[in-house]
Amino acid sequence: MPVLTVRLGTRRYEIPFTPGASLGDLLHEFGHVHPCGGRGICGKCRVLLSGHDEPVLSCRTTLGEEDAEVFLPQSLPVSQIAMTGESLTSLPAKGDVGAAVDIGTTTIALALYDMETGGCLAETAMLNPQTAIAADVIGRIDAAMKGKLETQRKLVTAAVDTLLLRACDQAGISAGDVRQRVLTGNTTMLYLLTGRDPSSLSHAPFLADTLFGAEHERGYLPPCMNAFVGADVTCAVLESGMCDAQETALLCDLGTNGELALWKDGRLYVTSTAAGPVFEGACISCGVSSVPGAIDRVLAQGGRMYVHTIGEQPAVGVCGSGLLDACAALLELEMMDETGYLEDAPCMLADGVSLTQADIRAVQLAKAAIFAGISTLLAKAGCSVQEVKRFYVAGGFGSHASMASAAAIGMIPRQLAGRAKVIGNAALRGAARLLLSPQGRAQAEAIAGAAVHVPLGGDAGFNNAYMEAMMFE
Amino acid sequence: MELLEQISQRLQAGKAKEVKSLVQQAIDAGVPAQDILEQGLLSGMSVIGEKFKRNEVFVPEVLVAARAMNRGAELLKPLLMQEGVKATGRACIGTVQGDLHDIGKNLVKMMLEAKGLEVIDLGTDVSAETFVKTAAEQNCQIICCSALLTTTMSVMGDVVRAAEAAGIRNQVKIMVGGAPVSQAFCDEIGADAYTPDAASAADFAASVCGA
Repeated sequence: MPVLTVRLGTRRYEIPFTPGASLGDLLHEFGHVHPCGGRGICGKCRVLLSGHDEPVLSCRTTLGEEDAEVFLPQSLPVSQIAMTGESLTSLPAKGDVGAAVDIGTTTIALALYDMETGGCLAETAMLNPQTAIAADVIGRIDAAMKGKLETQRKLVTAAVDTLLLRACDQAGISAGDVRQRVLTGNTTMLYLLTGRDPSSLSHAPFLADTLFGAEHERGYLPPCMNAFVGADVTCAVLESGMCDAQETALLCDLGTNGELALWKDGRLYVTSTAAGPVFEGACISCGVSSVPGAIDRVLAQGGRMYVHTIGEQPAVGVCGSGLLDACAALLELEMMDETGYLEDAPCMLADGVSLTQADIRAVQLAKAAIFAGISTLLAKAGCSVQEVKRFYVAGGFGSHASMASAAAIGMIPRQLAGRAKVIGNAALRGAARLLLSPQGRAQAEAIAGAAVHVPLGGDAGFNNAYMEAMMFE
Repeated sequence: MELLEQISQRLQAGKAKEVKSLVQQAIDAGVPAQDILEQGLLSGMSVIGEKFKRNEVFVPEVLVAARAMNRGAELLKPLLMQEGVKATGRACIGTVQGDLHDIGKNLVKMMLEAKGLEVIDLGTDVSAETFVKTAAEQNCQIICCSALLTTTMSVMGDVVRAAEAAGIRNQVKIMVGGAPVSQAFCDEIGADAYTPDAASAADFAASVCGA
């Protein structure tokens, strides 16, 4: 059997393989990901392979009968964006310790809490390794139905275990001290976590055959609202406290899926809109997650563009918040017209980092899905934008994005920009609430049980709004 | 005519307001509505369709152009009815039962309309019976089925069988498309045409209708 030598920084691994094996498959266990699901279109899985002058796409490369050697890029993007930003309690835990976990389509975040004091002891996050299978939930459901359910279950449980050990290490406790766990996530993520066949999520009428809201061997799984709006949204709504107030409020969780919840006159209307992984850096030519050197802010001033990078490092790419700002800046500088046409493509943001016309088009589809989702949800609930008094913005990308830029490019209604309240990874904090508050579970059940789902797929109003929202204005 | 060429150009650029005012200008100048439609709006849209087929433009450009076309078409609609202009053919379209993903379907619909076809949009989650019943009752020459999911594409085979059972199989062409669909699948289920993109679908539909 030929052998593949994998070089990762200074480390070296040898894997025997059968001729004809996919290079991408062999590299999965090294955290090597295929954001486009192996279709060969995103270019994110480029690696250096012996015998090739140019980097190859691992997802489209099969190995022959000869030994081969591959060099992997060293940094695994562990995003800062998943962090809740809570100040950590430095004291070691006195009583029981509990873990809150948010399994996102793209990022998994875990936080440890002192169950007695409620203090946060440690926080950590990593890329969801299922990303290697597919970037979005449809791709993962599809893969699960083609025999990759158990693979995906193992990937996510191993990742949660890794994060738990890492967090325990930070907190200076042993994993055995963690007595309680709450694991939240979208409906698909919980299906995959529990190894449950997701067929019911794959076709209309999309009736999930379970909505969780129960203890599982790995911990408490909060209730989902429906096939598209999961336990993560239940947790985010709980955390926002929007259902405790009289005023009309809108919550927007901006991740790979844009999930929306509207609280009006004692009713909760929910929906989800497929924004795609664009704002996570996937499918953008120079897109990266929030790593050092990622352009996270772009400002137009005096007819020029200024960029800021994370850690003030030399620019390596552009992350979601930078992408959003860049589009707003291009509009303001009239380097892009309202239809998204770039006067001069590609457009340089920094040395080696540019935006292509295709990048702008990808942003356009994502932002239109969010805007059309918001306007259709409001319309269906008979609510005007003016009535929305509070606009909660949750999720990693949402928390770092400039709402002014989001309004400028037509991703959110202008009136909402000034009413935005950023609540970070609200799903994770909501899960922590379930861990710490005795009334939490009953509240979560009540929220999920009362939610009214507003489906957007196939809705003529949504289709029209989507087309209208395609414009950058 | 220069004005019609201008309409086509501005439509390709997605400039909805300009298209609308140019169409109004043409109407005011006495240009027949059918000429404005065909040599202005539809010709612009078919340029976009060709570029889309060659991957020179992406979905947003198509939608932005279609939006501009709709603005112009709204003005023309009453005039076209007065002139008694007939569509070149009629098709019904929908995503198959179990599938709600309709962006691709909507693109195909726009492209077919840009070829001058009348399109009956059955929306999403459409049963085989509904496709066939519509085609029979409304005299459609074409049934277009779209699916995004591998789990739902098998319904397309049901459409073919339902058309046979209803005795309309030789009166109607069944076209299939969507991400998981391929020529091999089309052959397997006995459909008439698989097209990889919306513009190619419109080309095939136009050839069926002799447009």
